[in-house]
Amino acid sequence: MTLRARFEARVGDFDLAVALEADDELVVLYGRSGSGKSLTLRAIAGLLRPRGGRIEIGGRTVFDAEAGVDLPPQERRSGYVVQEPTLFPHLDLRRNVLIGLERDIDAPGRYEELLRLLSIEGLDGRRPHQLSGGQQQRAALARALVRHADVLLLDEPFSALDEALRADLRAELLRLRREMRLSIVFVTHDLREAHLLGDRIAVLDEGRVLQFGPRDEVFRRPASRLVAELTGFSNIFEGERRGDGVVVSGLPLRAALPPDTAQAEAVDVAIRAERVVLRRLDPEGSLPENCFVARVVDELAFGNTHTLHLAPEGAGPPIAVEVASRPYEILGVAGRERWVVELPADDLHVMSRAAGAGE
Amino acid sequence: MSRGVAIALAVAAALLALLLLLPLGGLVWRALSDGDVAAELGSGATWDALRLSVVTATISLVIAVLLGTPLAWLLARSRARAARLAASLLDLPLVLPPTVAGIALLSAFGRSGYLGETLGGIGLSLSFTTAAVVLAQLFVSAPFYVRSAYAGFSGADPRFEGVAYTLGLSRWRTFRSVTLPLVWPSLAGGAVLCWARALGELGATLLFAGSLPGKTQTMPLAILAAFESESGIAGAVSLSVVLLGFAALLLLALHRVTATAGAYR
Repeated sequence: MTLRARFEARVGDFDLAVALEADDELVVLYGRSGSGKSLTLRAIAGLLRPRGGRIEIGGRTVFDAEAGVDLPPQERRSGYVVQEPTLFPHLDLRRNVLIGLERDIDAPGRYEELLRLLSIEGLDGRRPHQLSGGQQQRAALARALVRHADVLLLDEPFSALDEALRADLRAELLRLRREMRLSIVFVTHDLREAHLLGDRIAVLDEGRVLQFGPRDEVFRRPASRLVAELTGFSNIFEGERRGDGVVVSGLPLRAALPPDTAQAEAVDVAIRAERVVLRRLDPEGSLPENCFVARVVDELAFGNTHTLHLAPEGAGPPIAVEVASRPYEILGVAGRERWVVELPADDLHVMSRAAGAGE
Repeated sequence: MSRGVAIALAVAAALLALLLLLPLGGLVWRALSDGDVAAELGSGATWDALRLSVVTATISLVIAVLLGTPLAWLLARSRARAARLAASLLDLPLVLPPTVAGIALLSAFGRSGYLGETLGGIGLSLSFTTAAVVLAQLFVSAPFYVRSAYAGFSGADPRFEGVAYTLGLSRWRTFRSVTLPLVWPSLAGGAVLCWARALGELGATLLFAGSLPGKTQTMPLAILAAFESESGIAGAVSLSVVLLGFAALLLLALHRVTATAGAYR
């Protein structure tokens, strides 16, 4: 089932203007808290009335400002799950999941099936306070799914759970999505979660969609400096176009350029810390393309990875490099201070300033 | 907590408990020594006053619940400034002395009041009737219920209602099967307070409804009348003990009911 939404809303003095779609896929709404992610879900669910625009769920127009269509949440066939509160505290699991479905003769069969799928069978008679946090969220998912929702709206559903449980539930959500034809809109401020779950990602900030596209495109080719910052690029430099490449801190770099950049135009250049390559310094040889010499000034060990901060000896920017623990040991990073840093041309992402400012 | 603090707290608690319990103990002791509780219980007048008290307080409570629940819900869910203002004005009848409430009721519904004259024109007279007793009780006790219900509705997460709507539950069904059970403890607590306040109401009733035995003389008024009569404090003591015992029994029963109904957490 498809979801198409393009609308503007105003809550207090917060303005929201979003456009997104989901076509039997999982779309992640990613952004900081207060960016408008939850309001977007509320508007789709029918709990917040936009000022203008159009929302379509499963081919039905559920909101159209111009045509005067505004279906109540009861008729939108959306499954809405929030972080908390989830289950109604005064009803047991069975009555929570089946609430409102008393006259649906197929419901009991689907109910058993979903409880099995979500591994919460046998807990029917328990009240929410007798269930663990993970079981409560599973039950809330079952409740949203049992009525054949056309679109699942999940507002940070796993944030209150500990990491191991979250990992389980994410895996189960991915399995459910494969087994059911469902469009899912998933709100999160967790970068790893966004990357793991999203087929497409919409990056929100201050009520605007900064970028909406396939996951890899958003993560590799952010549309602007802000998107790059939000999606975890730790190296973002100011530079300018020169010839067929860019110059950053006096260092010429070969890199793919965005269309329509003029010579000497100011650009932002970004590279992920894990894409930067460290090479051993060869005192005899000359420096290859996109390389410069730098000195380690700081080091953080995260267990499975190490993050090194290096300062340039000559031309080149200060840079953060992430090295997995095994190459870290093989290269013998710990014992050496001076390194050749390579910024591979394929991993350098050049953003025109105008593109970032225009949105 | 240090030992010294613990002792200080215990002393403070004991002092207040004594202050509350000593007069009640004195009342019982006095009634046993020179009152005649048995005679009062045997008297038709006592039962009339008690029955009138219970009936009017219960009617007041029913009206307060029927009209106050929607009011409290609207006030709690509305974002309008007027609603917030109205919510703060709810406390006004709580701080007014009951005599002021009685004067206010008289000036509205009394024979020469601005509504009373109109009502009198069509042959209706409220003041000094049993209906006036209910009106006076309602005026002073309903805010207790609405206040508590308002606090309950304000504290109930509106996202529960949002989730219920997306599950296909109508607004009424949501209110009945989701919101109401969530706020039940607040409603029940408010109802107990409201009923208790109505049962104890004296000042406004005296001014607005008078003290006519069998018609407007509730227990508090009967106690006052006994106190002012020849029998003096002796008669008042016996009646007071009857009311005290009765109120204690009812409060205990109500607490049992609300405790079992609200015990889902």
